[in-house]
Amino acid sequence: MNAADSPLAARPAVQLVSGNHACALGAVAAGCRFFAGYPITPSSEIAERLSRALPEVDGVFVQMEDELASMAAVIGASMGGVKAMTATSGPGFSLKQENLGYAAGAEIPCVIVNVMRGGPSTGMPTRPSQADIMQSRWGSHGDYPIIVLTPASVREIYTETIRAFALAEKFRTPVILLYDQAIAQLTETVQLGDGMPCAERLWASGAREAYRPYAAAPGAVPAMARPGDGYRSHTTGLNHAEDGFPTQHPETVERNLGRLLTKLDSHLEEIASWECIDCEDADVLIVAIGISARASRRALEQCRSRGLRVGLFRPLTLWPFPENALQAAAAHARSVLVPELNTGQLRLEVERLLGRDRVAGLHRIDGEPIAPEQIAARAESLAKGTP
Amino acid sequence: MKPGDRIELRIAGTGGQGLILSGKMLAEALATLGRHIAQSQTYEPTSRGGFCNSDLVVSETEVDYPLATKLDCLVLLDRLAIKPSWALLKPGALVIHDTRLCPELPPHANIQAYALPLSRTAIDLGSERVANMVALGALVALARLCPRNTLEQAVRAETPKSFLEINLDALGAGFALGEQASTASAAALAR
Repeated sequence: MNAADSPLAARPAVQLVSGNHACALGAVAAGCRFFAGYPITPSSEIAERLSRALPEVDGVFVQMEDELASMAAVIGASMGGVKAMTATSGPGFSLKQENLGYAAGAEIPCVIVNVMRGGPSTGMPTRPSQADIMQSRWGSHGDYPIIVLTPASVREIYTETIRAFALAEKFRTPVILLYDQAIAQLTETVQLGDGMPCAERLWASGAREAYRPYAAAPGAVPAMARPGDGYRSHTTGLNHAEDGFPTQHPETVERNLGRLLTKLDSHLEEIASWECIDCEDADVLIVAIGISARASRRALEQCRSRGLRVGLFRPLTLWPFPENALQAAAAHARSVLVPELNTGQLRLEVERLLGRDRVAGLHRIDGEPIAPEQIAARAESLAKGTP
Repeated sequence: MKPGDRIELRIAGTGGQGLILSGKMLAEALATLGRHIAQSQTYEPTSRGGFCNSDLVVSETEVDYPLATKLDCLVLLDRLAIKPSWALLKPGALVIHDTRLCPELPPHANIQAYALPLSRTAIDLGSERVANMVALGALVALARLCPRNTLEQAVRAETPKSFLEINLDALGAGFALGEQASTASAAALAR
């Protein structure tokens, strides 16, 4: 869906809210009632806000002993029937990867916020980065499906947090909310409203003896057993059959893993989201996320005022990447520019889809955001055919 | 402000001076006037010390790029903050610098600089910790950003009870410094 058509455009009272605060507000609005986490800059404000907000709505906030346990607790809470989330930054996101893979494989809905800071390792805790783009897709071992959303403003962090819970519940999958420090700790005047109704999980119903926790048609999402409803369920990180118990039977593994790996692809229409600005006649198409997309938006205006035909394609759903939408947006562009705070992670995906010949990168890794003027200058040289 | 106008402000110094808080108070005050605000900050991993700044982008319309690119106003509460901010100054920018902590500025062809005793005034009021409030008052008075009572309301809303009296005193003293400086420079221009 093109994000411009979103039904979330309601306009209530103006307030000053930071990105991480908006994430906490969105989580509560989406029905999240469990948070387990370990404080880490620049995501700690999410935990701080939820430590006050969750008890007020009869939810549970737990400051855990570490990042690994936080992810495990979130999985347990979700299996217990509660919408659950955690929040972290790069170093913590690395530590969560094993349990994240468990949630993907066992199909446990949950939301993980990763506020990107400079890396690798401890990196630059208070500076922005966009270098976890590939880790958010491929961070855990093995083949697995995952949804990653990339908001670019305070208001969008709120709406995308709600959407993250909706997608997690509907498709029984971890959803990662990925945004950079610059957006996380930015405070903006916004009109948030009450959000939208959040999708609820499909619970098992019907005859108890016939229930098999992972039985579903190819590409479909099986119903979960709500604890206490009396349905027999088994959950494991091992490859499992429809009954949830481990198996190495090749056909059974092929069938079940095959369903898991195609369940998002068969619902791409519902999952994909992006924004296109002035793409129709663009000679140069900019592709960017987060703070780099905000800078690109300004660069686009600067270029247009100089008579240059520049457009912007901004994925809101980063993974699965909105492939068809990008290819349509870039149909007439002679050049594609990817500004990002890393050495070329988003560019790699764009090159995969559009070919290397017309794609150029603009990368920054020094902890400073890319300024609109830098992007405008590069777009101008590309528009004039002097890359 | 005219439609499409964009004003960029920075309050800069070192971590622990309350710069982010004063930026948030100013943001609250300007938001009540219907302005669109984006407030951002830079700080270092240390909880005290290191370069720290609070930036505001103020606009009549929704802010596209939310970070500062060309500063209209800069307040310097430590000499450490000069280097990361100097290249961002717009021609004709207003620069307020503290006489104790940032007494000297590098040469600049086109700025309006005011050396004001911000931290000295705070110390005389009883606590150097309120230098951020003195600075806020001086900035708003010199740059004529909003009515004084609008700012006072924002400061009241954001201040814990135990600090309210001294914060309002500091704000008032800052306003007085700003207005004196403004009058003095107008008089100098008239001569």
